[in-house]
Amino acid sequence: MPDKNSISRRDFVRTTAGTVGAASAHALANATSRPRQATGLGNSQQQTVSSEPVPKRDLGKTGEKVSAIGVGGFHLGSTKDQNEANELVSRALDAGITFFDNCWDYHDGQSEVILGNALKGKRDKAFVMTKVCTHGRGKDVAMEQLEESLRRLQTDHLDLWQIHEVIHYNDPDLIFATGGAAEALLTAKQQGKVRFIGFTGHKDPAIHLKMLSHDFPFDTVQMPLNCLDATFRSFETRVLPEAARRGIGVLGMKSLGGSGELVRHGVATAEEGLRYAMSLPVATTISGMDSLAVLEQNLKVARGFTPMTAAEMANLRERSRELAADGRFELFKTTKKYDGKVGREQHGYPTAEELPA
Amino acid sequence: MNPNSASAAPRDSPTTIPLRKFGRHDVQISALGLGGHHLGDATDQTEAERIVHTAIDAGVTFFDNCWEYHRGKSEAWMGAALKGYRDKVFVMTKVCTHGREGALATQMLEQSLRRLQTDHLDLWQAHGICFENDPELFMRTGGAAEAMLKAKQQGKVRFLGFTGHKAPEIHLKMLATGFPFDAVQMPLNAFDAHFHSFEQLVLPELQKRGIAPLGMKPINGHGDPVIKGVLTAEELLRYAMSLPVATTITGMEKMEVLQQNLKIAQGFQPFSAEEMSAIRERSKQTAGDGRFELYKVSLKFDNPEARLAHEFPLDRKSVEVEEMVKSPMNNGHPYLSKSELAL
Repeated sequence: MPDKNSISRRDFVRTTAGTVGAASAHALANATSRPRQATGLGNSQQQTVSSEPVPKRDLGKTGEKVSAIGVGGFHLGSTKDQNEANELVSRALDAGITFFDNCWDYHDGQSEVILGNALKGKRDKAFVMTKVCTHGRGKDVAMEQLEESLRRLQTDHLDLWQIHEVIHYNDPDLIFATGGAAEALLTAKQQGKVRFIGFTGHKDPAIHLKMLSHDFPFDTVQMPLNCLDATFRSFETRVLPEAARRGIGVLGMKSLGGSGELVRHGVATAEEGLRYAMSLPVATTISGMDSLAVLEQNLKVARGFTPMTAAEMANLRERSRELAADGRFELFKTTKKYDGKVGREQHGYPTAEELPA
Repeated sequence: MNPNSASAAPRDSPTTIPLRKFGRHDVQISALGLGGHHLGDATDQTEAERIVHTAIDAGVTFFDNCWEYHRGKSEAWMGAALKGYRDKVFVMTKVCTHGREGALATQMLEQSLRRLQTDHLDLWQAHGICFENDPELFMRTGGAAEAMLKAKQQGKVRFLGFTGHKAPEIHLKMLATGFPFDAVQMPLNAFDAHFHSFEQLVLPELQKRGIAPLGMKPINGHGDPVIKGVLTAEELLRYAMSLPVATTITGMEKMEVLQQNLKIAQGFQPFSAEEMSAIRERSKQTAGDGRFELYKVSLKFDNPEARLAHEFPLDRKSVEVEEMVKSPMNNGHPYLSKSELAL
């Protein structure tokens, strides 16, 4: 629903019923059908709880396989306590989820600590990723953060280490500058401290493409992928094919718009949203799970996952198209609100709060 | 020096504003254009007329406007000011269908012609193409594209174009429709050079197609980079005018702003390639997060008329929304009942 300060066209039309002007204002609305409510299409066969494991997929051309859904590190840090996190991680592993996301700065490091504790004795079963928050700073900062991440995660190596939040137009230049973060990725890989390397960002396909154009040996790239993205500043149409061409493993995120926007605004059900994202040619879809209930909900979709048909996907894209067109449900691509504080500081940018919109 | 840059124009005397070729057509327009929205911000109609007359005397021939600026006031004031001057100027206005049907576009054209007190427009553009589905709605059967072609056939408009401030990709989608555009308007400034860049992505495509590029927002809309001390107004305007564009449209709501712009435009000498790249170096850092180009990212800069037509929620706190709601007479669509008008 729009907030109380907004007026929808529907309100306007209602208040003008019977006036001459409203006739032409109506025309477009009548000419195109726009279902506003999720119809629950294709849900039925997923309702029965499967006992099948979550499928594994190839991680690009690395030769490694990862689970088709991954546990998001930020939300893991939002669980009630360590016990709930332990339970969540252990149940996820039992169901066949191997991919665990994290980041050096999530909850000021607490997310890594919590995951480290939860994986005690289970490290070998998991594919552990974390991210480095240099935001334009150099190799030395990156290597220090790596040591911290390893300590918190209680491990001697990461399966995947990614540069976090590549979201500003000058980020690629800073990352590939002499002594920049790209060098740290290579060094850490040579030292055996990380197996694979990649980068993430939620802002703009053009920035991702600029990163890829450096022909750096990235193993993975992470990006927002959901049915709204398909028609708005689209990573799906612009970056996904390029990553596939290069054999780079794609990690999807924000399958429901980041904070469930898809569901809250009636674009799709949670199940449809997650199924759409997981049906794309990605290695995994990272999903935030801050409670056992959310994990179980995701497992309903992910166990023995059946991808949507091309027709189902096209149908959902069509239903999303009009709602996606102004980007209001993907504000992470447009406003500064979702940009990390550390990154903005490092760039010498004002905080998100200081900026309008 | 870039062979495509504005410098290809003949050297002008220090007192005239250079004229430049309007795309593939054998028509010349002034390198500086007067923005219609700001004209409606002048203290009163007399002042607006004085600004228009001074601009014409100084050699400005390109006049920008839009059907919805100040709910019709901008067109009405310009129309009054151009009485007796119509033949000396190139008048553009824009149509605000935003995906709605072609019949509405034709209605709007008649209103614009009446307000501008003329029987034809030199250029009529589809306003504010800024949502991902705008190109398909524009081209749909019975849509604005058909109305525009018809108006051209009827001689009511000489040339056709479109405008938008949002995303180069959407502009490219419009060009890919194959519609015979004569002009395309977009934000062009030293910050755009680095961020969602129309300069990099759209400008070369227009040159290739012989479409007249019309630059806008040379000082980023409201001059924020000047206020923050990144570049001066003069540097910014000169940068924009040095690009290979037919004209640079800028707002001049006060005589002193007009005079300041005339100083740069009269006998305009473009920046050299080195000077251009030096300016870009200075804008690069702050351009990176788009804070001076919020019109490309924030919903707050979306035109309310466009959001309305798309059924997108409106921000009641926006000045434009308030204007739209309180002055329903100008658009033929009385949106709200009398009781609702008392917001």
